[in-house]
This record gives sequence, C-alpha cells and structure tokens, in this order.
Amino acid sequence: MHHPIVKVSNLDKYFGRLHVLKNVSLEVPEKQVVCLIGRSGSGKSTLLRCVNFLEDPSHGTIEVDGVVVPAEVKGKEKNQLIHDVRLKTGMVFQEFNLFPHMTVLENVIEGPVTVKGMDKNQAIALAEQNLDSVGLLFKKDEYPSRLSGGQKQRVAIARALTMEPRVMLFDEPTSALDPELIGEVLNVMKKVALEGMTMIVVTHEMGFAREVADRVVVMAEGELIEDTSPEELFANPKDPRTKALIDRYRTSE
Amino acid sequence: MSNETNQGQAPTSQAELLYQAGLRQERQFRTNVSISWGIFFLILVFLFSGQSLQLGSFTFNAISLDTEFMLKNFTFIAGGLGQTLMISVFSISFAIILALLAALGRLSKFPPIYALSTFYVSLIRGTPLYLQIFFFFLALPQLGIILSGLVSGVLALGLNYGAYMSETFRAGLSSVGKGQREAAMALGMTPTQMMRRIVLPQALRFAIPPMGNDFISMTKDSALVSATGFVHELMWRATKVGRASFNSLEALIMAAMFYWVLTLILTYFQGKLEARLAKGDR
Repeated sequence: MHHPIVKVSNLDKYFGRLHVLKNVSLEVPEKQVVCLIGRSGSGKSTLLRCVNFLEDPSHGTIEVDGVVVPAEVKGKEKNQLIHDVRLKTGMVFQEFNLFPHMTVLENVIEGPVTVKGMDKNQAIALAEQNLDSVGLLFKKDEYPSRLSGGQKQRVAIARALTMEPRVMLFDEPTSALDPELIGEVLNVMKKVALEGMTMIVVTHEMGFAREVADRVVVMAEGELIEDTSPEELFANPKDPRTKALIDRYRTSE
Repeated sequence: MSNETNQGQAPTSQAELLYQAGLRQERQFRTNVSISWGIFFLILVFLFSGQSLQLGSFTFNAISLDTEFMLKNFTFIAGGLGQTLMISVFSISFAIILALLAALGRLSKFPPIYALSTFYVSLIRGTPLYLQIFFFFLALPQLGIILSGLVSGVLALGLNYGAYMSETFRAGLSSVGKGQREAAMALGMTPTQMMRRIVLPQALRFAIPPMGNDFISMTKDSALVSATGFVHELMWRATKVGRASFNSLEALIMAAMFYWVLTLILTYFQGKLEARLAKGDR
C-alpha cells in the first residue's frame, strides 16, 4: 500500500467550452476496488477515460504504477508514456467493443501477441486460463456475434485481463445489458476483485458498490463530492446530491 | 409438403397459415418474373430471327441476321473475352491500391497528404474516362512518353476507378465504429497496428460487395480501351470484323451477348460472395 497504482493530480478537462473535470485528484492504492458513482454528465466516465488517455486531459497529471504523464508533455515522448500507461491498464467498455472479425480466442490473444509480442502458444494458454475463469472457455471458437451481451462482456473482461494489467478500468460495464444478464458480469467482476486486482469501476450498480467496493467516490458537476467507504456512504451520505442518489437506489431496490 | 406433415394432426394455426400464404405469394411472384424474363428474351430473339409474323392484314418482318457471318466470326470475337477480363483484372487491382491509398490519405492529419487525396479524386471524377484513356495514349507521346494501348487503358481505368472506389473504402473505414478504435488503443496498439489488425479487415469486408459491382462495371467500361485501336478485346474485335464486311449489326449483337453473359456470370458469383459475407459469423 506504499505507492498508489493510480494517482490523478489536479486534473482538468474541457470539451470545447465545457468544463467537465474541475481540478480532480484521486489516489488508488494497490488491490483497492473503487466505485465511481454519480449522475450521468457528472464526469465520472471522462475521469476514468483520462486514466488511460482515451481522453486527453487538459491540465494535470496522471500517474499509473510509476509512469508519470503530465498533460503538458507532447509529441513522441507523450505517445511513449501513454503506451506505457495503456500496457498497465485494462479497459472494459459499456458496449463491449469485441472485435467482430475475430473469434473469442483471437480477441483475447490479440493484445498479448500484437502489442506485447508474446509467443502465440503462451498467449493461448494464458487466454484459455482467463476464458475459463470467466466461464467461457467453451465459446473460444465462436464469433462475438453468437454471444449474448453478458457473454460478450465477460470475454471483454478476459481480453483485458490477458494483458496482465496492474489496474482494471470498467466504464459502466453493465449499462448496455439486459437486466437478467447483469448478474453474471458482476459476479465475474467480483471474482476479479477477490483475486486482488486493483479496480476503478464507473457504475450505476449501487448493489455492487455496496458489496464489492472498498471505497466509493461520488462525482457531481465535474468534482469529487464524496470519497468514503460504502458502509459510511449508505449509512450517512453527507452531500445532498449523494443523498438523492442513495434515496433513488433505495426506492428502486 | 406441409400438407403431408400436417395430415391427421391438429389444425394448423392461424399464424402458420398466414406465414405459408406469404411464402406462396413470394414464390409465385418470383416464378412469374422468371416467366416474363423468358418471354422478353424470346421476343428479343424473335426480333432478330428473320421470320415474318402475319397479324390479319399486317405483316411483321423481323430483322434477319447474317448467320453465316456470325458463325464464321464467333471464335474471333469470343477470343476478345480473355483480353477484356485481363484488362479488367489488372485495372481493378491497380484501382484497389489507389483507392486504399486515397481513402487513407483522406484520414491524414497532414494537410498535403489530405489535399493530394482530395485533389486526385476531384480531378479524376471531374473528367471523362474516355478523355483519360486518350490522354495516356495520345497526349503523353507528345511529351516523349509512349505507352501501349493496353498500358494506357489499364492506367486510365485504374486511376478512374481508384478515384470512385476511394469513396467506397472511405465509407468502409468510417463503418468501423469509434468503440473498435478505442478498444484497440486501450490494448496499447499503435495506430499502424490498429489500422492493420482491427480497422482494415473490417473496412475491407464492408467494401467487398461494392468492389464486386465496380469490377462488373469495369468489364464493360474496358470496351472504351478499344478506341486506342491496339487492344484486341471484345469491342475492338467486334467493330473490326463488323466494319470490314458491313456486318456491324451482327458483330455488335454478338459482343453485346458476350458482355451480357459475362455480367450474368460475375453477378452470380457476386451474389454468392455477398450471401457468404452476410452470414455475419466472420
């Protein structure tokens, strides 16, 4: 716990004239599971996407496992740093984004083989291990179009894990799923958390936040408004906007 | 068939009956279209059969063709098919390379590259193909560059189709969603790896059916190359023998039939290819 895996310092992000992240700082120590919650438009996805530079921060610094990337760095040096950060982060998207022209197994070994130059057989062994762990080894030769949404997302998790990242980023991983398929994905995520993976999860799943997260960070209007344990958050929400979120969750429960 | 399987069983449901009626209607429509095609074809054959048709007091005399000429020159004209196909295959290969480069250039953030791509497409689409063929064949020799009819034809057809096909490729590239690129980036792929492994394979699959159409069009546009007088493809052969013995009618009809049959065959394979791609597994 000595050094944070992810350290976001004084991050600002503008989309045109819109100020979507306002001087945000966040540290995530090793093996911690952090849930980022907040209403849509609060900036939680943007913050997550800044961590692996799918969004380019306007100001501030991102640090992932010792790789420090200030927003001011430009050009080749920046590309190299971003590449280093991406090798240390695994990303799971709301829309899965599996590669439709590749089988499940090809999807999962693509990163290790193409990006890391891993030996193909070694990559296959690792991929099969991870597919097994998400319960989809029997689908390895199928194309993504033949999978359900929940299965696609589980493959996407296996794909990210096979890159052996230091931290997993989840961007609303269950929001595109039919309600009956949400559980299987959350269970896989729980398993990944229990195996000691550092995770940042943008989610609307309060149940998951409550049960699995070590820490919940609430965002509103581009700022962190609350940063606490799930127990504390549900028992004693401080900000009125947090209260509103919790109340809505309670009534839907 | 369904009657047999349903015999002695519970009455067929309303939905099943409606579904079968729909199928029947569709089948009937297709049969009738085929029959009509046959009739039109027979009319066409009759028009050139040399027969006369008595309708009351009116006599219709069909056009009579010089069948002796046709039989005599059949192999000569048919011999042009190979050249026609060869020009088309060379030209389409050249066009695909140009189209891909032009489409990628259109994605470039480097202004001269972007401009070169749009400049090429604009210039070529703004001038006639016929002119382009002659430009290579007749205008370049003035500058000391002498190209054969075949090379001129292939260059012009390739350049021309490349410009049009670049739009197809561009559509193919933009059909690959942002999420695909993001997933590739998140894995740590370089832009080149992303293009080669993720974007291009999907874009090309998208572009294959329209490319098939372009190839089919090209087999016919290749006829323009005959105007150089030095490429012995279908059209050149037909006009040559037709003019020589004042049998252009027969010669051109034969060439038309060859082009038509060629198109029908290529369209058939095009359909097969599309059906395979449409399965969506791959």
